[in-house]
Amino acid sequence: MKVTVISIPVRDQEKALKFYTEILGFLKKKDTPLEGGNRWLTLVSKEAQDGPELLLEPAPLHFEPSKVFQDALMEAGIPWTQFDVENVDSEYDRLTKLGVEFSVKPTKMGTVKFAVFNDTCGNNIQIIESI
Amino acid sequence: MTFYEKEVRRIKEAIYKNQDQINAVIAVKNYINCNYDKKLNLDLLSKIQFISKYHLLRLFKKYYGLTPRQYLIDRRIEESKRLLKAGTSVTVTCFGVGFESLGSFSALFKTKTGKSPFQFQKEQLSRR
Repeated sequence: MKVTVISIPVRDQEKALKFYTEILGFLKKKDTPLEGGNRWLTLVSKEAQDGPELLLEPAPLHFEPSKVFQDALMEAGIPWTQFDVENVDSEYDRLTKLGVEFSVKPTKMGTVKFAVFNDTCGNNIQIIESI
Repeated sequence: MTFYEKEVRRIKEAIYKNQDQINAVIAVKNYINCNYDKKLNLDLLSKIQFISKYHLLRLFKKYYGLTPRQYLIDRRIEESKRLLKAGTSVTVTCFGVGFESLGSFSALFKTKTGKSPFQFQKEQLSRR
């Protein structure tokens, strides 16, 4: 078995695609139309294009418990998932300039530094650097 | 303050209080990062930070979740992938990242990546 897909629930796939590619810098990998205007939409990171794919899944629109869970995590400030970066401070500066809102500024904890931002699609996302 | 921020503070207070210990393991990790291609062992690493070697082993594992040895191997494999992708021969790569035998390098590489260094390089180069 292999890990190939990591799902991220989003309220609007097109908006999510824009944010994750134009702001965060991921690349679109697969885009297959499904019924009802939904898409099988996946992304990969530029540095690891044969790595796991992020699936931007419109689950909160079609399955109420998914929406409830996503809202609860957002409310509590809990990240849906996290991405590794080389340098949290410079990524924080870059994203802040692009208008991204952070709920946790770069913070050191033990042997990591991390920060948390709003992906504008219903999730908190954590970026993390090993120090 | 959100629930998450409160939890982060609580955990930090509970398990990441000892900044001296944290600084010591970070220094050891940085030393490995800069010297992965040399012959490294626990004796040497513990001398650098004036920590007994078993204490260092425990601390490193506590803060990084890996032993220094495992960390070193991962660092060397990561570097060897970079060299192989760039077209460096398997033998030069093996010794260049600090391994002392081609046999143990190939076996470790296969365990960590699922492919032998030869297969890995062939696949990478054929993609160009």
